[in-house]
Amino acid sequence: MRKKGRARHKKSSEVHLGFQIAPMVDVVFVILLYFMVAAANVQTENEHITKLPGTVPTDTETLMPDEISIRIEDDGQVYLNDDPLDSPESKNLPELAGTLYQLHESSVASQSDVLVTIYANDLARYTRVVDVLDALSRAKISSVTFQAGSAE
Amino acid sequence: MAGGGGGGDSGEPEFQIAPMIDVLLVLLVFFVTITSAEVLKVDKKLTLPISPNAKKREQSMVKHEMAINLRWNKDIDKGVLVVDDKIFENWADLIPILQDRKKKDDNLRVVIRGDAQLPASEIQRIMNIIGQAGIADIAFAASNR
Repeated sequence: MRKKGRARHKKSSEVHLGFQIAPMVDVVFVILLYFMVAAANVQTENEHITKLPGTVPTDTETLMPDEISIRIEDDGQVYLNDDPLDSPESKNLPELAGTLYQLHESSVASQSDVLVTIYANDLARYTRVVDVLDALSRAKISSVTFQAGSAE
Repeated sequence: MAGGGGGGDSGEPEFQIAPMIDVLLVLLVFFVTITSAEVLKVDKKLTLPISPNAKKREQSMVKHEMAINLRWNKDIDKGVLVVDDKIFENWADLIPILQDRKKKDDNLRVVIRGDAQLPASEIQRIMNIIGQAGIADIAFAASNR
């Protein structure tokens, strides 16, 4: 007991207050693990870039591209030139993306451009419009315009 | 930062703490950087639609972007326009602000951050406002997951 008491009251010159590397490495490891886990689940904000029509001045003559209309009904059903494709529940829209990709391929072969006009019904959800934009991205079609109301 | 060789007096290789700290700090800085760069400017009152194939934000355009938040008021099924934390009751009030921004920055891009559940008509409405302000370059924000 006496020895312990003595040990507790060391002289100030004997007390080691130096920099401890081991706890620092521990802390750095914990912070590193935190950021590694956080980086895996990070949510990023991406964009679908487009141009609004009628505001870009041009000096050159523009060729009229092949126009395709995509209609989105209130229930989420998507029509390509009046042909229903995929179900309203299908988020990936594989049929639409596949058909559009074929159109893109044929337009590349014929050296023409494809212009897609999206007609979204007033009560169609915005997420459905983004689903269609996503399918267009997959089909590598970038010329997209929007039109209010139905195609008729 | 750290020096030192790989062995002690006996010639046996020994564990060097300093290079390990160097490596750890580099990794730490890397993860801190990518985490903070990718964090969204979160508006907790709106949920972005999910689009895994949307393009990543162009780094060269980041400084030219202006975000327009469109929250969804589910009680009336209408959009709530929020720009720079200010709610616009009359959406037309945004036109002079957009025109002013366009004058200051010719490469201005307006990023529409709309709630996934918004009716498409509200997106059309905000596009009309942006068009009236003379801005053609727009983008629709979407989440990757």
